[in-house]
Amino acid sequence: MNPPSEQDIFLTVCEIEGTAERAEYLRRACGSDAILRADIESLLRAADAPDNPLDRPPLAIPAQDDGFDDLIGTTVGPYRLMEQIGEGGFGLVFVAQQEHPVRRHVALKIIKPGSGSKEVIARFEAERQALAMMDHPNIARVFDAGVTSDGRPYFVMELVRGVPITEFADARRKTIRNRLLLFTDVCAAVHHAHQKGIIHRDIKPSNVMVTLHDDKPVVKVIDFGVAKAIGQLLTDKTIYTRFFSMIGTPLYMSPEQAEMSGLDVDTRSDIYSLGVLLYELLAGATPFDRERLDSAGLDEMRRIIREEEPPRLSKRLSTLGATMTTVSDARRLEPNRMTSVLRGDLDWIAMKALEKDRNRRYDSAAAMANDIARYLNQEPIEARPPTTIYQLAKFSRRHQVVLGTSGLVLMSLLVGLAASLWQMQRAVTERDQKVAALREIELFADKVTRANALMASAQTHLESGQWESARYDLDAAVAQQPSYYLPWISRAQFFLRSQRWGAAATDFARAMGLGAPTDTPQWWGVTALLLQHGDPSIFESFMAQYEEKLLRDSSASNGVRVDWEWLRNGLADGDSMATASYALIANIAEHKLVDEAGTETPFGPPLIRAPGNRYTEHRPPPPPPRGGFEREGESLEIPRHDRLRRREVIQNIPRPLRLYITGLAHLRAGQHERAIERLLESVTSDWPGQDLVHAPLAMSYFRTGQSQQAASSLARSIDATKRLLSTGTDTNRRGPAPPWFDGIEMQVLDREARTLIGK
Amino acid sequence: MEKLIESFASLFLESRTAQIRDVEFVNSEVSQILGQIENGDQQAASQLLPLVYQELRRLASQKMVNEKSSHTLQPTALVHEAFLRLIGSGGSQKWDSRGHFFAAAAEAMRRILIESARRRNTEKRGGDWNRGELAPDDAAVDCDDPASLLALDDALIKLSLTDAALAKLVELRYFTGMTVEQTAEILDVSPRTIKRQWAYARAWLRREMGEPDER
Repeated sequence: MNPPSEQDIFLTVCEIEGTAERAEYLRRACGSDAILRADIESLLRAADAPDNPLDRPPLAIPAQDDGFDDLIGTTVGPYRLMEQIGEGGFGLVFVAQQEHPVRRHVALKIIKPGSGSKEVIARFEAERQALAMMDHPNIARVFDAGVTSDGRPYFVMELVRGVPITEFADARRKTIRNRLLLFTDVCAAVHHAHQKGIIHRDIKPSNVMVTLHDDKPVVKVIDFGVAKAIGQLLTDKTIYTRFFSMIGTPLYMSPEQAEMSGLDVDTRSDIYSLGVLLYELLAGATPFDRERLDSAGLDEMRRIIREEEPPRLSKRLSTLGATMTTVSDARRLEPNRMTSVLRGDLDWIAMKALEKDRNRRYDSAAAMANDIARYLNQEPIEARPPTTIYQLAKFSRRHQVVLGTSGLVLMSLLVGLAASLWQMQRAVTERDQKVAALREIELFADKVTRANALMASAQTHLESGQWESARYDLDAAVAQQPSYYLPWISRAQFFLRSQRWGAAATDFARAMGLGAPTDTPQWWGVTALLLQHGDPSIFESFMAQYEEKLLRDSSASNGVRVDWEWLRNGLADGDSMATASYALIANIAEHKLVDEAGTETPFGPPLIRAPGNRYTEHRPPPPPPRGGFEREGESLEIPRHDRLRRREVIQNIPRPLRLYITGLAHLRAGQHERAIERLLESVTSDWPGQDLVHAPLAMSYFRTGQSQQAASSLARSIDATKRLLSTGTDTNRRGPAPPWFDGIEMQVLDREARTLIGK
Repeated sequence: MEKLIESFASLFLESRTAQIRDVEFVNSEVSQILGQIENGDQQAASQLLPLVYQELRRLASQKMVNEKSSHTLQPTALVHEAFLRLIGSGGSQKWDSRGHFFAAAAEAMRRILIESARRRNTEKRGGDWNRGELAPDDAAVDCDDPASLLALDDALIKLSLTDAALAKLVELRYFTGMTVEQTAEILDVSPRTIKRQWAYARAWLRREMGEPDER
């Protein structure tokens, strides 16, 4: 027999654990053949070498020609490229000579390949009509768009030779007043576009240029319509990431844009970006630190933009450190003067534009400009609640010249006040309608802290078993902040814990009416709740929102991003969405089953990381507080920073539950055979939620004509539901109970099955 | 595998319908050749390669013009698209013919990649490198990659001299991106055999490409 080959020895050694045993085997196998032994040893080293090209997919084929090399002198459509003037994330900007129909220089922007050029051009075409209607001295016009011979989209725009507004203002050491005047021109331009129905979507200093016309600075907003053509509809995560890399930094992006939730970007997104621009013009820094945003990961960055309150202008100054001197010098102010100039009105104006909730921002760029004009005229601004002292302070400042020396101020103020009483009266009447709205903002601003404190207190009370006090706190929180959804959700969750389903459904409905996003973990299971205990119309509108989100940003390929429980939330009934939508859920679920195999938690309640880094049980709701004071370790409202963690926790649900959800989705999609298959697969004796399976299984059997099995599954479902209802109030129940929505869902499905099968 | 093919099918359905006419001719020719191979015509296999090669090239250059994704194309995705275009997804093709196709495709893709790597390698050394900052995606591709791909190619050639079957296996698996199971199915051996042979070839090739540092 032949001596063992190099391959045989190598493979055998690979399977031997332990260095000593390996050496021993090698010694025996190679005998005196030192060369063979050296060969095998080098093979073994090679096997462990870290950078084996075979572990990487083969080299991607590079695009053979970037095409940017020698563009100067070539023609793109009817334009001859003259010189390159810019280069950005999107591509290159050239000065180009146009010959027909007019001879002129234009700016030509060639977009890097990135998004489908056909779509870019189609979107541009869709907006071309509107773009053509824009005619404003402060807007650079967009003339044309096309595709280069090698397939890159390009845009042709009015040539603006200028510098970004922030650079201009700093270089010329413009005062705060001059900066504000320049900025109102920007507002005027943006307002003009908004009136024509055009949203910019990418307002930032490099798109707001200043040029000099006869030594007079003129603002030019460039790139209107370009961002829409390039960046719209990017919901897929990969494209989204690339989109961010293209725009460079999201510093000027509104929360709704950063979220990319598909929430329509509207004119108020531009208002937000204007707010950031104003902020930077005044304070010399953007609301969020550039380095911090750039170094944050995509999700963290989105979270910052969506959730973190930016510091006020005047506060931000104190974080500038050494650059403070430069910044104030560029504004011709002493560093300590600067804070007092920005504090107050300018703070409020910037913060109003930077509201996270777009409903609370200025409703137009013109309104923002008007408020700035009011500030410049020393009139009371809109952005701030008009307290009496504030109005008087304004009044006295407006009449400072008349009032004379400071010693006389108080007396004269009174005189002036009397003299102007009728004027005041009229002003107040005029503002009557506004007061209501302002009052609400004021209430919100003033009471948000107190309401939050109340919610925290409720949590503490709940943890120590003081249900009455918790309830009292929550009622007070709702009363404090009735126009904000969070207290309503908190109280709804309290009701869930005390199993007051109807009250919980009502509070959830209120929160929905206040625009609460309904795709967060707090809403999981709420569809079943609404169906069983709530108003049908509320359920319908929930499902409408749900379907919209589903179709907007879910597909089988990015199913990993959606939560199982979120999917499940859409399956409470089978006819509030299109069958295709249910099929989509089923499809996503099937993909998730494959993609996430191995991430399941074992049975039992999922683990949640407690504040002290301990793992505690994520416990189901306790029994109702019928006098019993039970200590409860779970918090009522997951604090903000904990949300992601909770998300993660719930993602890791046991496999039977995943199979059940998938089966339910198939049932809803009318794929009854698949439903039966998945549901049966989910039945595992040690899954506490296994009773859920009976009703959907009964319906699936019924639909496929297997009436025998349908009847027996239905019987099991009825039995289990009865048991649930009788143990639901059992305070001494042992072991983990299913989460509250399991119970509700079981009842909903049981009822549906009984109706369908007719018992 | 069915699932894989299916997902590729839906992915490329659009481009397929758009291009269906120019493909029809090649399509029938490829099917014909596969038929001949099935019937034992040894000559036919050699006719397959140029067709597949041509199609891969064409796909690649077409994608460079209007591909949405980026500057670079994933070879394995190209191979699968070529498969769909030349053979179709719904066909009753048995694994035998698929195997012939993927073998040809692997070889064709290897040639295309090596050509490309050679070109890039000379570009880099030859000083006609003036793309600079405009191709940030280029930076994503490891700069050593063309070189290491060329080294891998050399090593593969050496391997084919000592163990041609093993070299074929590596070519097939590496350049088409097939899993162990798929490779096993095509070569009609057990996955375990493939795994073992792959482990050996992987170490063998790595050794051939340069001894790792002794530490």
